[in-house]
Amino acid sequence: MLRTNRAADIEKVFAKYPTKRSAVMPLLYLAQAEYGYCSPEAIREVAELCELDPTEVKSVTGFYTMFNESPTGKVILDVCDDLPCALRGADAFMAHCESRLGIKAGETTADGKFTLRSAMCLAACNRAPLLQANGDYHYDLTPESFDKLIDELGK
Amino acid sequence: MADLINLTIDGVALAVPKGMLIVDAAKTIEKDIPVFCYHPKLKPVGLCRMCLVEVGTPKIDPATKQIVKDEAGATVIAWQPKLTTACTTPVSEGMSVRTQSKPVIDAREDVLEFLLTSHPLDCPVCDKGGECPLQNLTLAHGPAVSRYDYADKQHNDKHAPLGDLMFIDRERCIQCARCIRFQDDIADDHVLQFHNRGRAEEVITFSTPGFDSYFGGNTSDICPVGALTTADFRFKGRPWELKTAASVCGHCAVGCNTALNTRLNTRTGVREIKRVMPRQNEQVNEIWLCDKGRYGHHFTHAANRLTHPLIRKDGALQEATWESALQLISDKLKTVPGQKVVGVIGDRLATEDAWLFGRLMTDVIGAAPAFVSPRTASAYADVARAAGLGADADFKALGKGDVIVVVNGDVEEQAPVWFLRLRQAVVDRGAKLIVAHHRSTKMHRYAAGIARFAPGAAAQWVAGQPAELAALKDARNAVIVFGDEKLSGHNARALAQSLAHALAEAGHADKPNSGLVPLYPHGNTQGVCDAVDPSRGAMPESADVAWLAGVGDPADAPRAGFTIVSELFLTPLAAAADVVLPAAAPAEREGSYTSGDLRAQRFWPAHPAHGESRPDWWAFQEVARRMGKDWSFGGPEAIFAALAAAHPAYNGLSYAGLAAVKPQWPMVGRAEVNFGGTVYDNTAGLGARTARVPVGGAAEAPVEPTLADLTRPEPALYRAGDLIRHSAVLAGRLV
Repeated sequence: MLRTNRAADIEKVFAKYPTKRSAVMPLLYLAQAEYGYCSPEAIREVAELCELDPTEVKSVTGFYTMFNESPTGKVILDVCDDLPCALRGADAFMAHCESRLGIKAGETTADGKFTLRSAMCLAACNRAPLLQANGDYHYDLTPESFDKLIDELGK
Repeated sequence: MADLINLTIDGVALAVPKGMLIVDAAKTIEKDIPVFCYHPKLKPVGLCRMCLVEVGTPKIDPATKQIVKDEAGATVIAWQPKLTTACTTPVSEGMSVRTQSKPVIDAREDVLEFLLTSHPLDCPVCDKGGECPLQNLTLAHGPAVSRYDYADKQHNDKHAPLGDLMFIDRERCIQCARCIRFQDDIADDHVLQFHNRGRAEEVITFSTPGFDSYFGGNTSDICPVGALTTADFRFKGRPWELKTAASVCGHCAVGCNTALNTRLNTRTGVREIKRVMPRQNEQVNEIWLCDKGRYGHHFTHAANRLTHPLIRKDGALQEATWESALQLISDKLKTVPGQKVVGVIGDRLATEDAWLFGRLMTDVIGAAPAFVSPRTASAYADVARAAGLGADADFKALGKGDVIVVVNGDVEEQAPVWFLRLRQAVVDRGAKLIVAHHRSTKMHRYAAGIARFAPGAAAQWVAGQPAELAALKDARNAVIVFGDEKLSGHNARALAQSLAHALAEAGHADKPNSGLVPLYPHGNTQGVCDAVDPSRGAMPESADVAWLAGVGDPADAPRAGFTIVSELFLTPLAAAADVVLPAAAPAEREGSYTSGDLRAQRFWPAHPAHGESRPDWWAFQEVARRMGKDWSFGGPEAIFAALAAAHPAYNGLSYAGLAAVKPQWPMVGRAEVNFGGTVYDNTAGLGARTARVPVGGAAEAPVEPTLADLTRPEPALYRAGDLIRHSAVLAGRLV
């Protein structure tokens, strides 16, 4: 239960906003940290906390790509393959990522370690191919440096 | 009219009120700007881009700040470089709008091409086909061919239930958000939202129990495509096969104007109601209906409707002819003294039925005035008649400075469309709401003042001159909505009297937009009570003859040696009767109802009567004639004329006058299906407000509620009654 496990954090979030519904996104991040993803129960809990209808909260998690509505691997790899990155070889890089991990973009490895996703613009086109691993940037990647990164992160 | 703005649309000069949107301004000169997401009853969002137009404003010289004129002296228009959404742009002085220029026409074609990239084009099997804005506007403005790769079409769920009563076809949805905005802004029930974005965006519900609003059916009306279909009408017929009859909903005191769509069942040869649609009446229901009104029509075609008169022979009811049944009744009535006859009439019958029934009892039979069932409501109808709303009253005119008080009533459960309209008066226009009840209702959400009293103690609360009612003093207009929950007839009357007194004390007695609004159980409680002027005393324990016309509650029937029942169904009371007369359903006949806000409205037959059932007034007249009375009313029109001549509330009204119409705003209806949705325009009659009639008698003091009062169930929209229990589609929600 979010309300019991994160009571202090919830109080801190609510203190920042004039109305309860304004706190919906920070509370969803808390819920995601607690449960690993925005599970149906997590959404209902946040709705109750913010005095919203669960449908309204579900709409928020659906709109923003960084709220996960299904379980993910320990490390989420967001590889940008928008047009400028593609011009710098992102497509070939993504193909390598898929074969190295043995999954397609949008899937999670069987050991639950990695989730690979294709991302829209990560705002670093000049240093493509690049990815975010749980939010941390890794620039100018090659198949070799990617493999090294995976070895490191997979430890 | 200082607040008029002058502008030009396609070279036509017009003046419209300040703040009006371009799309509405164009409507006033009957110029259509195509829209999908815009709806005149919803706040504009500008997300479909279908209404793009060219907009220009007078060119201002930066140096002199003066409007620039050309050589001819005409104002030079500075056209905006990009197209503008007509649905979000208010008019401004000197504005010029082009709705038919090449860039506009091209933009419409482009928007439609995008909307159709993944639209299934399954019009031949779509329930909306024939009355579909997307279909109509594609024919009018769309590209002739699609340039999109067939393989790139997105395939989505086509039969997704959003709730028990609504299905969504995700391929047809064009993401206009009309349904979401209706639920958010009008119904205040946030159970629909968008999920995901871009091409993956879809309307979802994540609520428990899903899309389960009392007003859900309206989203199907305003859906500009065939995405939202009702469980009731889906796959039941094509719009062009349907015939339409104007009617008035009788399920609650609001009196929503409806259109009954019927279709001939070629297998049985019977014309059946396929759906109930709203009919615009801006002073009553605007363009909305609740789901009970929309889905509660199935009783009309229920298989167990009475088809023939029944006469008890050898202990069992047996089919008989009308002639023998009427003769038996009149022979019987001739043999008993008038004062040993008791008449009880239900509040579901038409005003004309009630008028003849009342005259039959007092003038022909010589009995005491009839009783009206339910007894509680009939105990205070004359008080409500005396202190009701004035002639020009309109909930839509309530706003800042006005006070709305809800006492002992649950408006959403008892009169759903009033809930929508009163809520908007409070939330959107700033009227002050005070709610007094012994429990919480949805109306409490919007209340500026809340009072609580013990169950059954509403009248005592008012008698105590509570501080909450002090707000009435400063109010511009004051409307008091009240219910009779947990009250006996006596206490309900005391409540109505004390509320009428409070209104008069605060100076609202004669104001046109102030008054009492009772939450009656049915659509013609007021009309039946007006026409009958019911007995309010105790029901006699026994009688020689009892005539029960449309009485639902067995407690409202006296024990009698000989019982006549006029009914739609073989109810427990009918099953125990000596003669049963089959009544025509409202959809099978004409007549008028008077709503809780004192509006008399007519309804028309939609299809022939079931079996040999006949309108109640006809049976009453036939009995009177057999008893020597020379009645020869040709129909409700003549009866209404007699009522209007005799009853001060109806003086000056005519049956034909109830059918008068005048232009309404916004312009919606069949010719405007692309604009306002599939609501019907009102060509049959807006009805007329009946007059207040002063009531004599001293105010009565409330008494302690009895156990019977306190254990009566709370009002609920889907409280199973004799009629809505026949709607299978509502079966799961009956309480």
